[in-house]
Amino acid sequence: MSALRLAPLMLRPSTQGAAVLALPMIAFGIVTWLLGIVVGGARAFFTWTTPDAALYQLLAVVALALLAVPLVSLGGSAARLSARRRDDRLAALRLLGATSGTVLALAVAEATALALVGAILGVAGAAATSPLIGLIPFAGEPLGASALLPATWSIGLAAAVTLLAASSALLSMRRVMVTPLGVARRETPARVHWIVIVLAVAAMAIVAGAFSSFASIGAALGVVAMVAVLGVGFGIAMLVLNLLGPWLLGVQARIQARRASSPVRLIAARTVLESPKAAWRQVGGVALVTFVGVIAGVGSALLGSADAGGEMTLAADIRTGLIITIVGSFLTVACTVGLQQAASILDGRALSRALHHGGMDVSTMDAARRWAVLSPLLLVVAVSAIAASVLVVPLLGMALLFEPVTVLITAGVVVTGVVIVGVGLLVTRPLLRRVATAHVATA
Amino acid sequence: MQAISARGLRKTYGPTTALAGVDIDIAPGEAVAIMGASGSGKTTLLHALAGIVTPDVGAVHLATPMGVVDVARLSDAERTRLRRERFGFVFQEGMLVPELTAVENVALALMLVGAPRASAIQEAAMWLGSLGLAGMEDRRIGQLSGGQAQRVAIARAQVTGASIVFADEPTGALDSVTSAEVMSALLSATVGRGRTLVLVTHDEQVAARCSRVVRMRDGLLVDAGAGAAGAPAASPQPAGTLAPPAPGTAVAAPHPAYGTPAAPRVPLTTEQQWQVRA
Repeated sequence: MSALRLAPLMLRPSTQGAAVLALPMIAFGIVTWLLGIVVGGARAFFTWTTPDAALYQLLAVVALALLAVPLVSLGGSAARLSARRRDDRLAALRLLGATSGTVLALAVAEATALALVGAILGVAGAAATSPLIGLIPFAGEPLGASALLPATWSIGLAAAVTLLAASSALLSMRRVMVTPLGVARRETPARVHWIVIVLAVAAMAIVAGAFSSFASIGAALGVVAMVAVLGVGFGIAMLVLNLLGPWLLGVQARIQARRASSPVRLIAARTVLESPKAAWRQVGGVALVTFVGVIAGVGSALLGSADAGGEMTLAADIRTGLIITIVGSFLTVACTVGLQQAASILDGRALSRALHHGGMDVSTMDAARRWAVLSPLLLVVAVSAIAASVLVVPLLGMALLFEPVTVLITAGVVVTGVVIVGVGLLVTRPLLRRVATAHVATA
Repeated sequence: MQAISARGLRKTYGPTTALAGVDIDIAPGEAVAIMGASGSGKTTLLHALAGIVTPDVGAVHLATPMGVVDVARLSDAERTRLRRERFGFVFQEGMLVPELTAVENVALALMLVGAPRASAIQEAAMWLGSLGLAGMEDRRIGQLSGGQAQRVAIARAQVTGASIVFADEPTGALDSVTSAEVMSALLSATVGRGRTLVLVTHDEQVAARCSRVVRMRDGLLVDAGAGAAGAPAASPQPAGTLAPPAPGTAVAAPHPAYGTPAAPRVPLTTEQQWQVRA
């Protein structure tokens, strides 16, 4: 009851402005839109009855696995953001005596409402753009109307995204519940347990093992089993990357914090160390695209040899699929970086202003922010390129990995990824400047 | 011979007049409290003196080793550099970098003016020690109480040897006992060492501990402070619990300041030079 009465108050634009509400909503919209397109496209192959259908379905599942993980993690960070953005106000309410239930209900309700609006916009966007997607040719013909997601699927997708947002918000709000001061003080002592690392490495080994006996699995259990092994295998690999990424970044940042000799490097390293998970959320997308890129490169090299055999249509189709997957991943990355940077600038606006008053140049703050993203980025890109290679070698052999096509595509993807992150940093720079130099009338 | 001096300051924000022609002289070693109701222009005056905002009209003369500078005429970058190298700042709520430790927050101010990290950390640790925070160097900011955080902020404001410290409601977020302790620390670290303190406050008790209180209303100085202009600061009364020595004791400077003796850092300019500039 009290939650209901307070909700309109909390939904009013805060001092942080409309951006606080708009950012997560836009993110949810883009997540839903991309998922709608991807699921719609993948679903189209399952309506086929041609002899090739099974192969196309297999590839669609792989593409889906590659895109779903970064998209779901973008959705998760948007939800956490919309819940955490109001942390301060919620913690204040808690201190004023609002019950845990009230605070929780408010935060989750807000995140869910934003996600729902975004998801509806996203589903509408997917429907609106599906004629364009329908123009993409597969098997020599445009995909056509089959790329359009049926209404029931659309509703299901919107519901799933909203549910994901609600559960992410719920999880991220647990900290406010533990202690009302927990959030106001922003303590984050999270570390990865060593068992998690052992399990992750073991999972990777199992996947690599399954891939190396891929052909015999196919012979023994049929195409469905091959589809399952590929989809699940790459999915697991990306989840493992997702799990180990933050830990790796923490280790790197700890070393850098010890060695830093300039203010910029010190602040950057400490920023990553404060929350390796937040750092991962910004650069993890590129790591995952790099992963896809290596596979795409090897795939293209494979097709190069297949071309000689005359399977031109299939080669062109797989190339099309890879381009779609990588473009989708880059859209996700661009979105995540922009979202995270804008959010962290808005979160730290009072401090930025004070530091600038104290004589810190905005360019120094910007450089610290840049290093806090770019240094982890370079590490995770290297690690994920190696991880992808390790998985691909048992599947397709070592020779393809060093084909010029493979190297070229991998390099292209890595460079594009780094440039996109750079652009994300660059476009949020004016926001930092505005925030740091803003005049505030009251003391 | 003033540490900082303003003439005819005017500043409007849209329809709001924040400063309607303010003159003020602040001598080296003074502790000046600026008081006034919300919207009286006191924070704008502090910001104009500190080179955070530039007045629409008027001049802010600052004595520096290179001679007298009109802060209002410096470029954005020059004013930022001036604030970094010559001024210290204490804000209402610490405004420390939460990712850094206490000692790193203080050392950061030195590193930003070019000190190597090792010596900056050493210097910062000495300052924390002298402010009663020994043993808390590696605490994260979230683990400090409000009063402790403010003392870290005071160390940050003085570690570079700044000749003037500007404080905006430095005790505004503290209870009265902590507030008194923080004021003692702030006075000892600044005027106690011959430096100048300019602070904005709502709290009469805080103001009473300064050597001069000026009052503002509607963008004007309505009370320039009883006969104190140019007079050296009255002795502040540091609380006994605090490490920084009281002024006049044998150990006037508790640490080797980073290349800076007590203010004034250089022979201040003559009245004639003020005339030329004005």
